[in-house]
Amino acid sequence: MFVARHIPADHKDLIHDVSFDFHGRRMATCSSDQSVKVWDKSESGDWHCTASWKTHSGSVWRVTWAHPEFGQVLASCSFDRTAAVWEEIVGESNDKLRGQSHWVKRTTLVDSRTSVTDVKFAPKHMGLMLATCSADGIVRIYEAPDVMNLSQWSLQHEISCKLSCSCISWNPSSSRAHSPMIAVGSDDSSPNAMAKVQIFEYNENTRKYAKAETLMTVTDPVHDIAFAPNLGRSFHILAIATKDVRIFTLKPVRKELTSSGGPTKFEIHIVAQFDNHNSQVWRVSWNITGTVLASSGDDGCVRLWKANYMDNWKCTGILKGNGSPVNGNSQQGNSNPSLGSNIPNLQNSLNGSSSGRKHS
Amino acid sequence: MEKMSRVTTALGGSALTGRTMHCHLDAPANAISVCRDAAQVVVAGRSIFKIYAIEDEQFVEKLNLRVGRKPSLNLSCADVVWHQMDENLLATAATNGVVVTWNLGRPSRNKQDQLFTEHKRTVNKVCFHPTEAHVLLSGSQDGFMKCFDLRRKDSVSTFSGQSESVRDVQFSIRDYFTFASTFENGNVQLWDIRRPDRCERMFTAHNGPVFCCDWHPEDRGWLATGGRDKMVKVWDMTTHRAKEVHCVQTIASVARVKWRPECRHHLATCSMMVDHNIYVWDVRRPFVPAAMFEEHRDVTTGIAWRHPHDPSFLLSGSKDSTLCQHLFRDASQPVERANPEGLCYGLFGDLAFAAKESLVSAESGRKPCAGDRRHPIFFKRKLDPAEPFVGLASSALSVFEMEPSSGSMSWFVDTAERYALAGRPLAELCDHNAKVARELGRNQVAQTWTMLRIIYSSPGLASAASLNHSVGKGSSYGLPLMNSFNLKDMAPGLGSETRLDRSKGDTRSDTVLLDSSTTLITNEDNEETEGSDVPADYLLGDVEGEEDELYLLDPEHAHTEEPEYVLPQEAFPLRHEIVDTPPGPEHLQDKADSPHVSGSEADAASLAPVDSSFSLISVSHALYDTRLPPDFFSALVCDMLRFYAEQGDVQMAVSVLIVLGERVRKDIDEQTQEHWYTSYIDLLQRFCLWNVSNQVVKLSTSRAISCLNQASTTLHVNCSHCKRPMSSRGWVCDRCHRCASMCAVCHHVVKGLFVWCQGCSHGGHLQHIMKWLEGSSHCPAGCGHLCEYS
Repeated sequence: MFVARHIPADHKDLIHDVSFDFHGRRMATCSSDQSVKVWDKSESGDWHCTASWKTHSGSVWRVTWAHPEFGQVLASCSFDRTAAVWEEIVGESNDKLRGQSHWVKRTTLVDSRTSVTDVKFAPKHMGLMLATCSADGIVRIYEAPDVMNLSQWSLQHEISCKLSCSCISWNPSSSRAHSPMIAVGSDDSSPNAMAKVQIFEYNENTRKYAKAETLMTVTDPVHDIAFAPNLGRSFHILAIATKDVRIFTLKPVRKELTSSGGPTKFEIHIVAQFDNHNSQVWRVSWNITGTVLASSGDDGCVRLWKANYMDNWKCTGILKGNGSPVNGNSQQGNSNPSLGSNIPNLQNSLNGSSSGRKHS
Repeated sequence: MEKMSRVTTALGGSALTGRTMHCHLDAPANAISVCRDAAQVVVAGRSIFKIYAIEDEQFVEKLNLRVGRKPSLNLSCADVVWHQMDENLLATAATNGVVVTWNLGRPSRNKQDQLFTEHKRTVNKVCFHPTEAHVLLSGSQDGFMKCFDLRRKDSVSTFSGQSESVRDVQFSIRDYFTFASTFENGNVQLWDIRRPDRCERMFTAHNGPVFCCDWHPEDRGWLATGGRDKMVKVWDMTTHRAKEVHCVQTIASVARVKWRPECRHHLATCSMMVDHNIYVWDVRRPFVPAAMFEEHRDVTTGIAWRHPHDPSFLLSGSKDSTLCQHLFRDASQPVERANPEGLCYGLFGDLAFAAKESLVSAESGRKPCAGDRRHPIFFKRKLDPAEPFVGLASSALSVFEMEPSSGSMSWFVDTAERYALAGRPLAELCDHNAKVARELGRNQVAQTWTMLRIIYSSPGLASAASLNHSVGKGSSYGLPLMNSFNLKDMAPGLGSETRLDRSKGDTRSDTVLLDSSTTLITNEDNEETEGSDVPADYLLGDVEGEEDELYLLDPEHAHTEEPEYVLPQEAFPLRHEIVDTPPGPEHLQDKADSPHVSGSEADAASLAPVDSSFSLISVSHALYDTRLPPDFFSALVCDMLRFYAEQGDVQMAVSVLIVLGERVRKDIDEQTQEHWYTSYIDLLQRFCLWNVSNQVVKLSTSRAISCLNQASTTLHVNCSHCKRPMSSRGWVCDRCHRCASMCAVCHHVVKGLFVWCQGCSHGGHLQHIMKWLEGSSHCPAGCGHLCEYS
């Protein structure tokens, strides 16, 4: 099913984030070595580094692409307490001839007094907006009022979360029925068992973000959080990487039933919880249709989760980070006997992928 | 808390104990220095000069050196240093340029010993000789360094920094006569104390001021320097030219740097601005601090390791008026909290995954890849085996690509490109789309299309169906054979379904599914179907279930509904209908025929589902004699659309919405429709399916969507003959009254894609030109030019 293609990233320290662009043809990586690299996919499917530059004076935690409507724009955030917005410069230069592109810094957002742990562009329909969160527990939302001028960003909102923030996720829904919403996760490791995931919603009347929900059941440090692409669903799906993988659904309770003007009420259900990684889960990422969730943990594996028509989530694949097959049936305990016929297929494909992988 | 953090360190007889603790000072501190016995610390600042005893649980104030009613400026200390051989000897550097020595052994309250008033501006640094009892060195803002012999009243020698301000002076620990000094212009100088005329060596170490330096306690050649350029550099001074061996990037200017005792590669830094934390770095991992102390609320001004042979206690003074003792064990470790993995799902189902190499290669022992640059580190590590080093972490980056054959998103692209959404009668659209879906192996979707066709375009055909059926059989050769073949295979009672089966192609799973739907097989059978094929089939269960009910309901409703049902207007594909056709049975007949005509013209495959589904319906009609209004199904169809949307297949929801048009539109609220449209358009644009996306925008009925394409695009056209702008909206130029942009092949006006040769400027319809150029390389206009189109 999968073929692993190894890329000599040549980052001099840990890579903390990988991010595909809107069209899936470009990839950005960021690392503790303070640099960001941009990779372009060639016709043959190989990834070539077309830009690599020093972005910050500390570890770069996250890198993220803006919608291409706003240009080739990246945002990064760092331990050095800043977030930065970068734009690729189009033009003829020597760089171009060498197959290298040039990125310039358009702005530095310096409002945080502590490490900026995540940065995310808002969904396109909201305009050019950017949210950051920092270790001091503040989520900041910036807006570029003029989308042609990427060097001017105004701080629109500051949301205090009371807990050291580690990750944020915008609700991607483009429906008018869904107000802008942002979920914040905390990796605060202090022993007090406070809820580590908070959801804030924009209130049209007060023009402020107010807390809509707190996921009381998540009390362990949260490392990553991701709303599934909405694609016309009436409800939202939220994946959380903590000591295990968790998937929540948030169904808006009909407006008429709630007091108008207040925040939307949600019916929150946990639909899946998997501890198959047997360790901290670091990342979760949704496929484009929001039907498959990938998670990665300290075991060095990527696991794929998919729901069947009964909304039962199951593991549909395990990928070892170096492309080698995973030994043993690690789906034990969770796999449904009715799925039995699928497993040999999967194993075969994984074996196949290991023989087909490239060392480049 | 107290239990866990109490630490005792044995140091050759004497033991250090303590915990992480702090005490409040009366005023901000500028510098601290530790006594040789590691039990006392002196804190100096603009209005503070005190000695504290370091006890197990707390700091205890021992002595206040600011005495007298009116403290003089000499007491405003920029720096303080405690002699490392004489417990009674201290020196301070005053901001007014005075260097003061203090003798704690003096019996009087005032311990001030000597006063050197030789510098003209602030003295930034004072430094005792590490082994010589009476030698003191000072460095000042005025650009001079002075060496004092404490037995004399004035300086022994003066070293000139060439009018550059001196920020730090440090005696070498190993070389008796050598000291290093750092300057505001970024230079570092090395002096021999016996030769005040000129420095031994000078090099530029930093961009901007070098605020501090520190000699390595063991490695005689190593000097660490820190500057405003946020960097700490480690220089090897033993070679002929000072060589940079390590460079640590911090997040703020470096005000102080101190090597950690007993840890060869560790050093502590603090900053003079913005950043209040103290970091301990392993110089071999220059990007991520090994430890971080976050106690201070304002700038840290002084740091000192408590004992020259103990790596676990660090003392610090700060502008926030506190004195702290930090325990290395209590430090926060950014490395531990740092995320070691990155993961991103790509558009085509590929996964980019970056992970710390130790995580992914633990078992497999994969060789480091070619781009790895850790070899120098390994080399160093061999030199220094005693100190465990977790390693300069690096990550392995890989992209897991979906094999094209398996479930990548290509089905989405194919479906989007091949679906027909408008321009033909409903039945044809449904058939076409069902065929597309089936060819892509999406049987459930194909089934849905077929059902939609049955629901929305068959009731009026009840009479025509049988006729059509026979006609279809007669006209399509080969197929009837297959039909009968299948019939034999199947149970005789299911004759009607078998035909439908055949229409579905030969997918076995589908047969089962269809059987289950029509014959209402129980749940166990559904389970069976799940296991048998692609996951998409799971989804089918639900829809099927609903459709089951539908078929069940038929008879009941047949009785309640009136038999002489009149076909409602909605049954017509209004959108694609010519308005003047009179509604009536003849018209229906026409419509029913049309798919057959096109079917037999094109390929038999498209024909097959048509006639078989007809047969299905005709059977159901024959059995129950029902004529349900399509309205009856609309709630069900809406549910189905919502189901698809909830399952993440917004493509299906939007496609059906467009194809069915008015039939279902009114039953789904505008907001939901708009949501589906925007989601689908967004997806199409991700896959660069601009044409499909535009078509969807065009076909959408939601105003918010259809206006998407009308914003901010203006086309300016010039006449190809007189080169004037075309002002009117037509295709005829006002000025020369000729048609603009004629196709050189067909001599018609080109509306839409126009392609032309840049050499002779002749061109025309893209299709025509492409066709022309297959046969000839000359310009179709006959100008003789050898055209090049690429």
